[in-house]
Parts: sequence; structure tokens; C-alpha cells
Amino acid sequence: MFAQPSRTAAAGVLRIPYICRSCLRRASAQSLTRETVLPVLQHRTLQTSLPEAKDNAPFRKLLKDEAKKKRQQEKATSSSKKSSKPKSDPWLEKWELTVGIEIHAELNTSRKLFSSAATSVNEAPNTHVALFDLAVPGSQPQFQKETLIPALRAALALGCEVQWKSTFDRKHYFYQDQPNGYQITQYYEPFAKNGSITLYPHDFPGGVSPENGPVTIGIKQVQMEQDTAKTIQQPPHTHLLDFNRVSHPLIEIITLPQIHHPTTAAVLVKKIQAVLKAVDSVTAGMEMGGLRADVNVSVRQRDSASGKHSYSGISGLGQRTEIKNLASVKAVEEAIIAERDRQIELLESGGVVEGETRGWTLGSKTTKRLRGKEGEIDYRYMPDPDIAPVVVGEDVIQHLNRTLPPLSDEWMKTLTESPEYGLTSKDASTLITLDDGERLDYYLDIVHTLRSTFKSDPEILQRVGKAAGNWVLMDLGGLFKNETWDPERVAPEKLSSILTHLLRKQITGRTAKLLLAILFNDPHNPQTVEEIIKEKDMLLKPLSHDEYVELAKKLLEEKSDMVKDILEKKQMHKIKWFVGQMMGRAAEGAVEPGEAERVLRVLLDLPES
Amino acid sequence: MSVLREAQRCVANHVSCSSLNAFVRLADSSAILSQAQNAASTTGPLAGKLIAIKDNICTFDLPTTASSRILKSYKSPYDATVVKQLREAAAIIVGKTNMDEFGMGSHSTHSHFGAVKQKRVNGEESSAGGSSGGSAVAVASDQCWAALGTDTGGSVRLPAAYTGTVGFKPSYGLLSRWGVIDYANSLDTVGILARNVQDAQIVFDTLNKYDPQDPTSLLPSTRSRLRSSKPRSRPLRIGIPVEYNITSLHPHIRSTWLSTLHYLQETHGAILQPISLPSTRHALSAYYILAPAEASSNLAKYDGVRYGTRAPSPDGTPESVLFAKTRGQNFGKEVKRRILLGAFSLSAKAMDNYFIQAQKIRRLVQKDFDAVFKRSNPLLEESFSAVSSDSPNVDVIICPTAPTPPPTLESLSNQDPLDAYMNDVFTVPASLAGLPALSVPIEREAKGVGMQVLGQFGDDSTVLDVSEMLEGMK
Repeated sequence: MFAQPSRTAAAGVLRIPYICRSCLRRASAQSLTRETVLPVLQHRTLQTSLPEAKDNAPFRKLLKDEAKKKRQQEKATSSSKKSSKPKSDPWLEKWELTVGIEIHAELNTSRKLFSSAATSVNEAPNTHVALFDLAVPGSQPQFQKETLIPALRAALALGCEVQWKSTFDRKHYFYQDQPNGYQITQYYEPFAKNGSITLYPHDFPGGVSPENGPVTIGIKQVQMEQDTAKTIQQPPHTHLLDFNRVSHPLIEIITLPQIHHPTTAAVLVKKIQAVLKAVDSVTAGMEMGGLRADVNVSVRQRDSASGKHSYSGISGLGQRTEIKNLASVKAVEEAIIAERDRQIELLESGGVVEGETRGWTLGSKTTKRLRGKEGEIDYRYMPDPDIAPVVVGEDVIQHLNRTLPPLSDEWMKTLTESPEYGLTSKDASTLITLDDGERLDYYLDIVHTLRSTFKSDPEILQRVGKAAGNWVLMDLGGLFKNETWDPERVAPEKLSSILTHLLRKQITGRTAKLLLAILFNDPHNPQTVEEIIKEKDMLLKPLSHDEYVELAKKLLEEKSDMVKDILEKKQMHKIKWFVGQMMGRAAEGAVEPGEAERVLRVLLDLPES
Repeated sequence: MSVLREAQRCVANHVSCSSLNAFVRLADSSAILSQAQNAASTTGPLAGKLIAIKDNICTFDLPTTASSRILKSYKSPYDATVVKQLREAAAIIVGKTNMDEFGMGSHSTHSHFGAVKQKRVNGEESSAGGSSGGSAVAVASDQCWAALGTDTGGSVRLPAAYTGTVGFKPSYGLLSRWGVIDYANSLDTVGILARNVQDAQIVFDTLNKYDPQDPTSLLPSTRSRLRSSKPRSRPLRIGIPVEYNITSLHPHIRSTWLSTLHYLQETHGAILQPISLPSTRHALSAYYILAPAEASSNLAKYDGVRYGTRAPSPDGTPESVLFAKTRGQNFGKEVKRRILLGAFSLSAKAMDNYFIQAQKIRRLVQKDFDAVFKRSNPLLEESFSAVSSDSPNVDVIICPTAPTPPPTLESLSNQDPLDAYMNDVFTVPASLAGLPALSVPIEREAKGVGMQVLGQFGDDSTVLDVSEMLEGMK
């Protein structure tokens, strides 16, 4: 969209990095420990300098582990039905969990939300900063309307109603990563409302949802807002500020409190992440720091009178607490479990849940109180007087709707139901989920190539989808087991070429695997697949009819006792043994079992099977 | 007088009038004179004219302090658009004028650099008005040809009235605010102080251009719509707001108002029309909720982290942010008062009762004006602004700029802040509605008396024309 991410006014004019000199000097004199700033820090979004969560175990492995666990549990419950249930289960039958989630995601835009400075991820600190990004006196916001496009795509993909008019508000709090002293967000009139997202059983690990069917979670609203500066810690006492990230556009997605299982919450976050990626709305996955979640958690007794609280128009809920700044899917799930158990334990022992903000760190057993209601920050929301309302035309929405790429639910249907692909739902959901959809793109590339290659061969054509699926997930997936996915490692044209040879029976399956390994281990090999096959003499050479007859005769003579068994005792299955022997003695793939049996039967004077 | 002679005279006055404290920083006098010399060969109405800039308008070369200790040595990395426009017109920036800190005040006494003063004949020091008091005094004492100020609730018009100069606040959105330090940005307007209406008009014409850097700058399409509105009446119809005849109106002011109206009726055949602006009595309260609310937000950026003054010893304790002390030490009393007022009226519990109510009043004030003007408000859809048949159909409204002549500085020292706010009672309504308003000095009966001409939004030319008629009274 924009060609030149030029150095901006502030950087150009001032030519100094924006690091407070006196702070640097003072850093040694006084400790600015993280503890002292935690309460404020925790409510801000996207603090990538926090320890990153490692949550990128291959999805297939997760599925496997999950299935294994399930089997073990089933075994345990069937063998001793009464004793070995987890201790908390009666509690979970008594208490119902309710969760709402707020997800913050960095939008994939070339400019910042309110200045023409370029967005950046890994540029030198303080090189992409406009006057307004630093709150230089007299500077004003300039809304970059192009940033709306990925935001609108996200809202449409989440089934939201895009508002004709939306406005920007200032959310006030003091922190040094917030140059203006406020964040510009959409509090009073967000740009999208009333969406929903449905989680199908296949979205869940093991293919089973805790609700035993699809779950639909309402999305209250989606709003646009600014990111803050990045704090770079220089232990022990120095905090450096990088304003490149200030005003990077974010969207905040707020769900209704309609989630009742920790797994559902985790799957929801994962799916929203996949949806945002699929429509090219966001820069990075959650693990890259591009996505953060806050969750609010409450419990209520299932059978007694409903709770007294009401959130987002949903009433009858228990007192909720909020857990801020969760950086991974795993963190979301574990924090909810920890907080649920804490609340139930508290209530069971006669206590009362306080409305408060809590924190959670990966690996810990319980959430930690950050501040109570009395310590809540009053953000003093005020409409920003300098920013005109944003009006989105119906034509823009229609155009974006038309050009929206298919979402994972649609892909699921296509991959499993269309004869072009014919995948199992397990393979389909794995393809969709892996590598933020890149694996799916790769697979589609290959299917597309193979289908055009074999368009006049219906017999092969119907096997293409499934074969490609197996090779992309199993064979190539196995090679990538301990490495990060890279579609260029074995370019899709190369795997397509291998599979073309295989489907044409020009090479054997083993040769195909060998070729794949060669390409994987030497991605810079300039040779084409054909050249490698030729160089290594891998092409399959089938036996001639005479060679079949010769090989069969030789075997029949060697094992005359088995010939007798066949002819006299009618032990017909022993023909198969001879077939196997023929295949074993010839070069790999050179003997077709069908042809071998035919030749054997002719020599033994038996009718065709 | 030649450009150079005029410049020399002004520069000489910089020395003789330094006790008035009109400037926070003057440009180098030899630089001013050499620019004036060069300008002799340049054409254009502003070529070589000395113009003073209020110190909340950013200049690349001179510091920009907003008369605040927190910015006492701040130098802006860029020129405000209005400054750039003046430089391009070959005007000479003569210096930065003293003001109430961040524009908050009515007498230009709340300055880190000391109060701006006027000297009466009897030697008494009187208020220059605020917050653009430095700009007004600089013009009144011939230290410059004209000056830029800013007007949020009367900050150009009040000092103009007190100093006997012309003070013009154009319609909101006509002059660029890019580079103007925010006080209350929905009200902040760059204004012009000059010796006469014609000079103000020249400066206005130079600056009245769309600026894409200011998101509140009126678009070219809106500007062309303003020009194509209904012509004014012949004879001129003048509205006299009956609610403005308050009991606390100083007798000199009331009689000047009356003689002004008589003059227009007799000399120009104008029709005088009593009008009612019922929401006016709430306007001042609404203003003192909205302006501090925006100020509390706009001033949150001053933390001494990226620029500005920092408290000398370590700041930031386990209980506070990194700049509690910095802000506590470096903002003045009035600024802190308004930040607190604003923080309160925006707080969750007070929002509905204060900020939201004040916004409603603001809308009512605008409706009051729309109901009396002949021209419809060009910012509204035609269907909403259809003038009712019983509208008084006035072209302009004329009322005093301030309820009293300038008080002495001595009397101000123990004044209650609320009394100071009362000074803005006649200027605030036009600010809330974004209307063009100009204060013309009418000093027949007393010094420091100004009459205010208000027009419909975008009808700046009628305001300037009628103001020029009033100059004939002198």
C-alpha cells in the first residue's frame, strides 16, 4: 500500500533517540524495580518484553497427547469407577464456570494508527516515530484510514455488524510507555458489534468439545486502539523506551461471558487467532507477542438461585475477577483453571470472591492479586476532540465481504466433503491449524498442481487430495518435527513433482521418501527432481513379460514341495507367498503383484483368480 | 512609514517597554532589523511586518514555553503552520509573548515568567487581560505590528478589550492548530491581535487556509460552502442579547454598549433587534467543565520523560508513577486547579452529571445562536437548520467583550478564582459554538472597553466588516 517507510519528522528533525537522559543517569541512583510498577504495567496491552511463552508444540502432538490422556482416563474410570476421579470433579458438578475474554491483536498495517510513521517490528529503536507518536507539544493525530481495512476484515470474519459510525476516545492513565498520558481507543462507539464465533468438535483437541457439540460464543464488540511503547529492560535498574511501537494499530475483541470450560477458552483464542491470520488482519501469532488476552472469570452454583451479577447484558453470574495480559493459549487455559479452582475453594470455605484484578505467570499454580476494586484505575474516558468520527460506507463493507478469503470453518467443510480433497476431519483440522494456515496454503498449492497434471486421468485424480494430504502432514510433517515450518524448505513445486512421479508409478514410495529427504536436507540444491532421479538412477524399470516368466519358473522349481501343496492340497494362499518372493527378489517396485500372480497361475495352469 | 523605520521603532520600544513583561523571549534585534532591511525589496502585505507570537504557538528558532515552568527551556522541533505561513509571507517573527500558563487565566498573571502589565496614567498597574495578554500589550505598546494569540474562552478578545486593541477569534477550524499547544482543543482557536480591523484582516487572509496536518481544519469543500452562503441584510440587522444586560455590568460598559448601538442605527441605518440567548447563563459553567476536562487530558503528556523540565531529585516512588513530583513541582497553581477540576468531571462517578451535561449545554448554546442568525449554520444539514419564521434573522450580535474595564493587578491578588472566571461570561458562548467574534476598542468613555461583534459560524467576513464600521466611532 505504501512504498516508502521513510524516516519521520521527529526522527529527522531531532536526530536524537528519545531516551530520557536524566533517567539514565538516575537509574543507578534509584531502583525502579518491576514490583513498583507492576500494578500499572499489568493492565497495558502487548508487553512483548515479558517472558515469552513457549506454546508452539506441534498440534498433532497435542492431539495425540490429548487422545492418550483420554484413553488413560477412560481406562481408569472403567477399571475402578468410584475411586480414581480427580478430587475437584464433584465441585465442578456443583459450580459452573463462566468466562469472557478480551483479545488484543496487532493489525497488519503499514502505517501507525494516528501518524504516517511506518509500523515496524524489528527496526532500530526510535527510528519510526512521528511527532504525534511522542506527544510533541502542538502535534495532532492524523487517522490513517487504511488501518481500517484489516480491522474491518477481522470484524467481518468474526461475523460482526460493522457500525456506520464509530468514534475514538481517550483512556487515561500515566505510564512512561504512554507518551500522551492516554491511549486512544474506541470506548463509547466501537466500529464493530454483535458478532459470534462457533467452535466445532473438530476444533477441539481429540475432536470432542466439552459441550458435546458445537459451541457458539458471542462477540460483544471489536474496537481499534493504539499500542504503547516497548520497554526494554536493562537490569538492574534501567528501562529503555522504544517508541517504534507507539500507536501501532491494535484491535481488541471482546467476547460475551459465554464460555464455561477452560478448554473452550483456549480453543476460542486459538481459533480467533487462526481466523485473524486467515483474513490477513494481524501481524503475528500469539507466540510472537502479537496477541494478548485478558480473561474475566466467575463461578456460580448450578442448582441454586443464580448469581447477582450481570456483565455485558448477561445476568445471574457470580462476582468476577479479571486476569490480565495472558500471552499464550496455554496461559489462558491454565490461568482460568487456577482462578476457577481458587474461587470455588474460597466459596466452599465460606469466603467471598472480591471483584479484583489478578495476574498469572506461566507455570504457577495460582493467580496473584494485583489490585482490588478500590485500586481500580478510573480511566476517565473522554471522546477525543481532535479525531472526527469514522464513517464506513456500505460499499466498502460489501467489497471486503466479497473478497474475504474462506475461513477455517468453510475450509473444514471443503476439505472433508469435496472429492477434490477427501481428507478426514482430523487431517483437515490439522492442516488448517498448523503454522497459522501456511501448511494449508502449501497443501492447496500441491493439490492444484497435481490436479492440473492429472486432469485427464480420473483414476489418479481421485487419489490426489488424499495422497497430498498424507505427504504434507506425515512425510514432510515428520521431517519438520523439530524444526520451524518453512514452505520454501521443500518448495511446493518440488513435492508436487515427486508426487507426480510417484502417482505415475515412475518411482517407488521409498524412492519418493528418499527424494523428499534429499531436498529437505539440501534446500539450496539447484537440481530439479527429474535431474536428481536421473543422476541417482532412481527411475522404476518394470520387468518385461519374459523376465516375469523366468523369475517365476525359477522360484517354482526351487520350491516344488509348495507347488505340490497348491496343486494337490489346494492351498491356494501359497500363491501369494510366491508373489511376495518375486517382489522381494526383483528390484524394488519392479514387480507388480497382480502381474506376478497372473504369470504364476499361467505357469501352474490355474484359472485366473 | 518605511518597513525599516517601523521595525526600528518597535525594536526601540522593546527596551522602553520591557517592564510590561509582554515577551517571554525576543528575537535578536539586529536579526529583526536585517530582516526588515531585506524585506524592503519583498512585496506582499505582510512583508517586513513585525509579528509577535504567543508562546504556546511553536517556533523552530525561539523557545516555546506556554509560560510554564515544565516547558521553560523547551524548543520545538518545528514551526506551527500559522508561523510557517507568516514566514512565507515575509513577516518577521519578533518574539514570543507572555501569557497565562497553557492559556489558563484571564489576566496573564499566571505565568512562570511573571505577570504581564499595563501602566495607567496614574502609574497604577492594571490587568492586560488573558490569556493572550503579552500579545495584546505587545501590539498596544507598539512593540510589534500585530500578534498571534489563542482564544479558548475569550483569551484574545478579553486582552484586546483591556488593552484597546483589536482582537479577532475566527470561526473554529479556519486557522490551523498544528503546532498550537493544546489547552482545550475543541475550543482552542488561533486569534489575531492588531491595531485596527484592517490589519487583522490582512493577517487573517494570510492564515485562512486548509491545513491537512490539523484534523480539525475545515476542508476546502466546507470552506467553499461558507463563501456561498446567503448575503447579509440591507439594512444590517443587529441582535442585542437581552440576557447579557447583567446587573454586574459596569456602568461605563453599559453606556458604551448603548452608544455603539445608537451609532450603528444612526450612522449606518442598522435595525436593532432584541434577541434571547437563554442558554447563555449556563454557558460559563459548561465552559469551566469542558475546558478543564480537555486540559486535564491534554496536559497529561507533560511528564519530563521525552522533553521538558524534570524535578531535580529522583522521581517515582513505589506508590507513584515516574513523574508525580515533576508534575507537582512544574505546573502552576491555576493549571493544577484546572487539571483537578477536569480529572474530577471526567471521573466515572461525575461524568454523567458534569461532562455530559456540559456537552448538552454546549449544544443548546449553539442552537440558541442558530435560532437568531439569518444565515443557517453551514455545519448542519439543511433540514436541521431551517430557520423558523419567527427568527429575528440577525446578521451579527453586538455585546460587550468584558463586564468591567481592566482591574488593577493589586485588586487581583486576593481575588477568588471564581471571580476571575466571571470575566469570561460574554466571550465563552461564541467559543462554545465556534463562532467568529471580534473585540473592537470603543474607548469614548473609559480606557479598556471593547465591544464584541459575533457572527454565524463561517461568517467571518461580516464580523470583520461590521467591526470596521465601529472603528468609525473613534
